[in-house]
Amino acid sequence: MDSIFANLTILLLFLTPVASTGLVTLFRKKRIIGIITICSASLILVQVFIIISRIISEKTITAFGNMFYLDSLSVIILLSISIVGFVSALYSKNYMGRQYDHGTVDDKHIVRYYQGFNVFLLTMLVIPTANSMGIMWVALEATTLVSVLLIMLYYKENAIEAAWKYLIIATVGLSFALIGTVFFYYANINAGSADDAMNWTSMVHNSKLFNPNLIKIAFIFILVGYGTKAGLAPMHTWLPDAHSEAPTPVSAVLSGVLLNCAFYVIIRFHIISSNAIGPEFSNQLLIIFAVISIGIAAASLYFQKDMKRMLAFSSVEHMGLISLGIGFGGLLGVYGALLQIINHAIAKPLMFFASGTISQKYETKAMSKIKGIIKVMPVTGVLFLIGGLALVGMPPFNIFLSEFFILSSGFQSGQFLATSLVILFLIVTFAVFLRHLIKMIFGNPVVPMKKDDMGKLAIIPMVILGALVLILGVFVPQQLQTLVQNAATIINHGGFA
Amino acid sequence: MVSTQLSILTISGSILIIATFSVVARRGFIDWLNAYRHQSIVLAGVTAIIGYITGIWEIYIAAALTLIVKSIIIPKVLTYVTRRLEIEFKIETNPYVSLRTSVIISALLVGLSYFLTQQIPFKSDPVVNVLLPVSMAQFFIGLFVLVNRRTVLSQVVGLLIIENGLFLFTMVLTHGVSLIIEVGIFVDILIGIVISSILLFRMGRTFDSLDVTNIENLRDD
Repeated sequence: MDSIFANLTILLLFLTPVASTGLVTLFRKKRIIGIITICSASLILVQVFIIISRIISEKTITAFGNMFYLDSLSVIILLSISIVGFVSALYSKNYMGRQYDHGTVDDKHIVRYYQGFNVFLLTMLVIPTANSMGIMWVALEATTLVSVLLIMLYYKENAIEAAWKYLIIATVGLSFALIGTVFFYYANINAGSADDAMNWTSMVHNSKLFNPNLIKIAFIFILVGYGTKAGLAPMHTWLPDAHSEAPTPVSAVLSGVLLNCAFYVIIRFHIISSNAIGPEFSNQLLIIFAVISIGIAAASLYFQKDMKRMLAFSSVEHMGLISLGIGFGGLLGVYGALLQIINHAIAKPLMFFASGTISQKYETKAMSKIKGIIKVMPVTGVLFLIGGLALVGMPPFNIFLSEFFILSSGFQSGQFLATSLVILFLIVTFAVFLRHLIKMIFGNPVVPMKKDDMGKLAIIPMVILGALVLILGVFVPQQLQTLVQNAATIINHGGFA
Repeated sequence: MVSTQLSILTISGSILIIATFSVVARRGFIDWLNAYRHQSIVLAGVTAIIGYITGIWEIYIAAALTLIVKSIIIPKVLTYVTRRLEIEFKIETNPYVSLRTSVIISALLVGLSYFLTQQIPFKSDPVVNVLLPVSMAQFFIGLFVLVNRRTVLSQVVGLLIIENGLFLFTMVLTHGVSLIIEVGIFVDILIGIVISSILLFRMGRTFDSLDVTNIENLRDD
């Protein structure tokens, strides 16, 4: 009886975006397909909340034999996917409508956009729910393909270039990841597992018997491979291009969620590797990549001229921080990292939405030509400022909390060198990012413009996210706390809830 | 295992490496595609032999898929998309490292993959011993082709070789992961190639040349 309920939950979760893609293909009317997508995204959000309430009471859900496995860790990723998916669908309607009025896209493109958006959501939903590491790989590769299609929606030279780079680099990266996955699978077969050797639960179960040398090599392949997709430096080179050239709602999903999905798979392998050879090896690697990412992001932020590229580099920085928290380990570090995943997934889309609206208004993405946002678009300007302050880690906002946890766990675990380097980089980021932001928000516009906030549907998703940024900065709801704590226990205690 | 099977595997392994080398040593896109097609046919044969040795029927499906997708569909699609491109887009005139040096580097990469596979603790199994280094060599040479060449088309070919190496690697080491994952990987590759073809097509229309050094508008300076 119980398993029927679980099967049904998972099935409905996948059927929603599938049905929505079908309806979009069927109706093909600009107004209707936007509403269909919003409905399906909000349905997914509701279903994820139901799943969360089940997970809090029962810790794990398995469905269809052992094919799907959910625990607190996967639910955190599901939560970020559904929130960002919902607000992006909401924002898409206004944004794509304006692109249409502007003549950048035609009816065919809009249909293609919404089809792609729904399939994109579907492929991302598969990643945290799957139990088999192979299916996770297939789904992650599928996200690359769908998002490449979404980036090349515009026939611009830059979009084609970004799509090409993204396709090639991400595919090569994922081929490394496949080698690592096969190594883990091989280790699991040798440890005596039979049919379900690709499943994460089976790998965790047998992980004590794995050959240590094999696991070391395998984890390096995994970290380089999935790290490429997660935007860890120095494999991040595709990221600023892809994130800045994609349509803005897609940028928000790419940056806020897709990076998390890739990092989620790294965390899964990190748990297995910690069981097999002790946590030191993978922790050190994660910390090294994290410090490089934050450093490179800090340096690159200084030189940015394009608003969306600046936000993309800030994503590299935040993925570095998440990796840092997992690498420092301990309850505090992992707790901070998981909270950071959610906080970043809320703050980054807010910034992308605001920047999308701003660039539509100013008709440019170049920061030097954007001045006096707060005078031209008061609401968007304030929200842009809130998001920016949150991203650099100012105290009353949500990211301050998680960054504080991560850095203090660094001192606790005795990683003084890494922690002080990161603090130094964060100070640089703080100064540089705020300088760019203040130059854009205050002052007077270069050419006089009409005061206009570009429509309610553009503002509502930003207000939702802005409110979440503020609320999560002062208090974390009880349910979320339990969820994150349970997930941290899973990571620290070898995988079982 | 019967010694004839082993010698067939050894010969096929060397054919795979020779086909990989002919991609490194040739300049023309059509030559690469032919080499890739032959390589894929041999790969399907090797897969079928592994299926025969292990007696797992799912491997035969993988072999059939390899034969259909990689040796028929993908070359067809790529020839179709590139048929209207100017001839200079299809010929690698000026790689970063000259062809002669490339062949030597590739030979070194083959040596490296034999060395690496001996370092990793694998169960002693004749199939693994013979074919695992070959798959690693394909992977490395594919990566080398990818970074060494200037035309966009050779990046696609590099990706295809990498992918063949990966397929052989998975097949040899694990005798095929479960069928659903195998099919998923195939579908991903096929769609990836189709998307890259669409991109190639658009590049041919919007860019003056398909030299990767020209496709560098997006950069931070």
